[in-house]
Amino acid sequence: MKENSRDSKSGKKAAAPSDNVLLQTVEQYKREREILLALSSDLTKVRDKNDLILLFKKRIKGLFYISHTIVTLIDYKDATYTPFLLDNDGSPIRSHQRYQEMVHSRFPLNEPFIQSVLHAAAPISFLLEDIMNEPQSPPFLRVNYEKGVKEILMATLMKEEKAMGFLHVYTDKPGGFSTEFRSIINGIIPQISSAVSNIIKNEELLKEEEEKSFLLDFSSEIATVRTKEGLARAVQGALHKLNPSGGFVIRRINEDKKALSPYVHDLSKTHDKKILTALENSVFPINDGIQNRILNSAIPMLFNTEREIQRSPDSAYLQYWKQMGMENFAGIRLRNGETNLGILLLDLDDINVKLLKGICAQVSIAMANIMANEQITKTQEEQSFLLDFSKDITRVRTRLDLQKAIFTVLDKTMHTQLAMIRVIDDDGIHLSSFMYDRSLFPNTKGTFDDMVAIRITVEETYTAQVLASEEGLMFNVEEELKNGNAYATLWKTTGLKNMYALPLRVGDKNIGTIWMLANRLSPLLVKGICAQISIAIANIQANEQLDGYKKKLEVENDYLKEQIKTIYNFSEIIGSGEAMQKVYRLISLVADSNTSVLVTGETGTGKELIARAIHNASPRKEKLMVKVNCAALPASLIESELFGHERGAFTGAVDRRIGKFELANNSTLFLDEIGELPLDAQAKLLRVIQERELERIGGKQTIKLDVRLIAATNRNLEEEIKAGRFRADLYFRLNVFPIHLPPLRQRLEDIEPLTNFFIQKYARSTGRKIRSISPRVMHKLRSYTWPGNVRELEHLVERSILLSEDGKIEDIYIPENAAEDQQNPALLLNRSLDEVERSYIIETLKRCAGKISGAGSAAEVLKIPGNTLHSKMKKLGIYKSDYFS
Amino acid sequence: MKIVVIGGSGLIGTKVVAQLREKGHQVIAGSPSTGINTITGEGLAAAMKDTDIVIDLANSPSFEDNAVMEFFQTAGRNLLGAEISAGVKHHVALSIVGVDIMQNIGYMRAKMAQEDLIRQSGIPYTIIRSTQFFEFIGGIANQATQGNEVHLSDVKFQPIASDDVAAFVVKYALGAPLNNKIEIAGPDRFDMYQVADRYLQYMKDPRKVIANGKPEYFGGAVTHAALVPAGLADLGAVSFENWLTTQLQNA
Repeated sequence: MKENSRDSKSGKKAAAPSDNVLLQTVEQYKREREILLALSSDLTKVRDKNDLILLFKKRIKGLFYISHTIVTLIDYKDATYTPFLLDNDGSPIRSHQRYQEMVHSRFPLNEPFIQSVLHAAAPISFLLEDIMNEPQSPPFLRVNYEKGVKEILMATLMKEEKAMGFLHVYTDKPGGFSTEFRSIINGIIPQISSAVSNIIKNEELLKEEEEKSFLLDFSSEIATVRTKEGLARAVQGALHKLNPSGGFVIRRINEDKKALSPYVHDLSKTHDKKILTALENSVFPINDGIQNRILNSAIPMLFNTEREIQRSPDSAYLQYWKQMGMENFAGIRLRNGETNLGILLLDLDDINVKLLKGICAQVSIAMANIMANEQITKTQEEQSFLLDFSKDITRVRTRLDLQKAIFTVLDKTMHTQLAMIRVIDDDGIHLSSFMYDRSLFPNTKGTFDDMVAIRITVEETYTAQVLASEEGLMFNVEEELKNGNAYATLWKTTGLKNMYALPLRVGDKNIGTIWMLANRLSPLLVKGICAQISIAIANIQANEQLDGYKKKLEVENDYLKEQIKTIYNFSEIIGSGEAMQKVYRLISLVADSNTSVLVTGETGTGKELIARAIHNASPRKEKLMVKVNCAALPASLIESELFGHERGAFTGAVDRRIGKFELANNSTLFLDEIGELPLDAQAKLLRVIQERELERIGGKQTIKLDVRLIAATNRNLEEEIKAGRFRADLYFRLNVFPIHLPPLRQRLEDIEPLTNFFIQKYARSTGRKIRSISPRVMHKLRSYTWPGNVRELEHLVERSILLSEDGKIEDIYIPENAAEDQQNPALLLNRSLDEVERSYIIETLKRCAGKISGAGSAAEVLKIPGNTLHSKMKKLGIYKSDYFS
Repeated sequence: MKIVVIGGSGLIGTKVVAQLREKGHQVIAGSPSTGINTITGEGLAAAMKDTDIVIDLANSPSFEDNAVMEFFQTAGRNLLGAEISAGVKHHVALSIVGVDIMQNIGYMRAKMAQEDLIRQSGIPYTIIRSTQFFEFIGGIANQATQGNEVHLSDVKFQPIASDDVAAFVVKYALGAPLNNKIEIAGPDRFDMYQVADRYLQYMKDPRKVIANGKPEYFGGAVTHAALVPAGLADLGAVSFENWLTTQLQNA
């Protein structure tokens, strides 16, 4: 290889020594120094490629003739050098067909041409002709030669004592590089070296600056992002700067952690509807050979679409991307802290790690924020939804309301179907169905109805599990099917994936279970709704109970009002006579037991008072004694009054009515005037007494009863039985413990205290003050026979008080004997012997159907001879008309 | 072929790169200084493009147990991940003879983790387990120096010249992937302290080597035969004596 050194060239000039020449040389050196100084100072100002190119073009070319200059840089990574800076404005080779190839080529360092440059101590020139045909010589030599370039001057650029690149200077004139020029180049090479390394540094700084400002811009862009759409816009804007035609997709890891779904994307690269829908609506399994690789890689990865298709031919999206013209793509995981959120896939051919990592850090934060935001919004929505539901629920009073509220909420808002609500019965063991959606299982009505009808217990496997769970259970329908859960076949028919079963609790108390079918339910929502439903059910139950109580109270109240009007307002029984003492003894004997008591006595003797006394002395005294006056009700109503009726049991039964028997449950039922009870009712009454349970009229439900019976009558029941008006069996049932009340006329000693008691009572209520009763009045009271007994005395006293003057009762208005009263045995006492004899004979004759003598005749009853009776009748004036009336 | 040598600027790396270039291959010498960083991933994807063979000769910048494990795992994952994506056909890594039986030593655990990652990667591979290089001996002696004495173990030692290592790496890299490990070692077997003693003598170093009889290496207890190949191994051509001669010449 022939080297044209500076020395050989300058040889010619040194051959003509003369003063002039010397002077010339001095001048030349001066000029050279000036040029060097000027160039050096210019070179120190070089900041970028353009500055250097300008320097070559304007300054050097202005001084010397050259065709063009090139700076190449060494890459030690692969031991090559490659063009870095081209001053080729006037370059003849720009029109060469291999020009572009040359610009982008990497020329190996290990060949003799460039090695000789590296080993040369100063700039070294070559005639292209001489070296371009050497087998390893770089092709740019020939390219230049082919465009008329003759000679090349190469200088090594040094940095930190290591070759960093080369300065190529070309000329199309052979021998075109003057000594002066070579000297100048040799002089400025260190400055050019530092200028080039400055340019490189500057470019690096600029690039870094750009990256930083890019990331900063992106960061401020991202900071304003609140929604998915905003994120899409921000990412799109940023990536557009990196690759204007490229798209991207962010996929988010689904909640099941098994797949990823598109989150935001820019698929503007394609307009193919089919591809778009396929890409947008797909769920991509996490372990598809690409996504898992990205998620497991801490660094961005570059993929070749074709290679990945060969690796996993099943990944549909790769095929689509290929169709979209994506040769390569980059994938980076999006990670918040230690949690993978998803991946970012980019249409890129190379990777700038710093930039992508920066982008991904921002995107990850934005995504986490959006997701957190979405979660908050969702939670808020759920909460406000719960609030609304709560409002709805507070209005709920009946099952129907609740059902409506629940169905609306579950179906419309949560895409959930209520399968069943079961409520634990009062016994704490059984669960009855409270509410269910029959329409949920339209094809299996029979099965479902069967299941509804079964009263399960808290021990039932699934129910027990649910009740024991803290926050309910989720049964996967498919899994339950596999496990052989009989219910699951039913659940399966709805097409929903999961059965959510939760305990309904009020406080710590289980009140039932709720079963809901859904694909997915938010735990917060479910919990909230269940709490509301629990309360609603408890309210409804309380309401129903309350309703019962209320009805009962109303009935009791009505009844009490009725009672206040009718009963004696005695708080105690007046009377200390021997006859009454006997009664008291009986009361105290019988009160503690549950024995039925039959109180007999004439009208007005205070039978109800005695019944009340028995009740009040009994353990049942805390509850109200219920009284029924059998004589006061029409026969048609008496049964309903006693036993109650269901709604619609008969015409006019517009509401359910609780009977007096039910009302008197756990208490005492006082049947006054039992003798007046119609035979039908007697039969029923007997059954109730015997069975101790009843059914309401028109009802099927049997109601267990614990009622103590006290019956009262002023009739002689035995006679009633004989007459066929009273059932003997009922009589024997009632007459377990008879108490007979003596008539007032047999307890004369009680008349005075009773009179005083009534005077007190009525004086108070009428506002009159009664100071004394004349002894005459008291005498009169004692001598009266009192057919109306105590009641008559009370009324007499009341009347006398109203008629009294000056606070003194002077007289009392004993009623005159009336003819019709004469039959009353009580009245007999006020009549003469003749009168008594006469009426008694008439009475007997009536009973004997007017037969005076003979068998079954009045004479026989009276045990006197027939003639004697005849004469007595004549004497007393008894005619046929008297006893045949 | 395009070959990327990770750790291409190290002791073995430079030799491997030079030898491969000598053979006319396109070789990328990967190291953070050439813009290829297996830890940050910088330049990795670009370097891997169209690459046929990757030779991993990188070593951890820190030898602290956790750091070294972190290095080999991160670098291994990143590198192998990029290789899979680029379709690299052969991954060659340099490991250590006895690495599997010296798991009490943190560095060996890390190298084992690196080997495991390679085996699990699915990329065709060759793992070359080498004995210690002659070049280490000076350092080993320095570490064991107490005053004027060098206390060294009598574990079996069969060091190899780095030129031989590089030659083996080149040979196996250009061969078909073994999908297995092979072992390489120097031609002669010694006790560790003997090698150091010879080295110091030759270098005219006044320090005195004392065999302490403790079987240990890298600060951990090892078996006497841990550092030498158990079975068949490729043996280097350069003997310790020959190497010493060249050292003196170079010095």
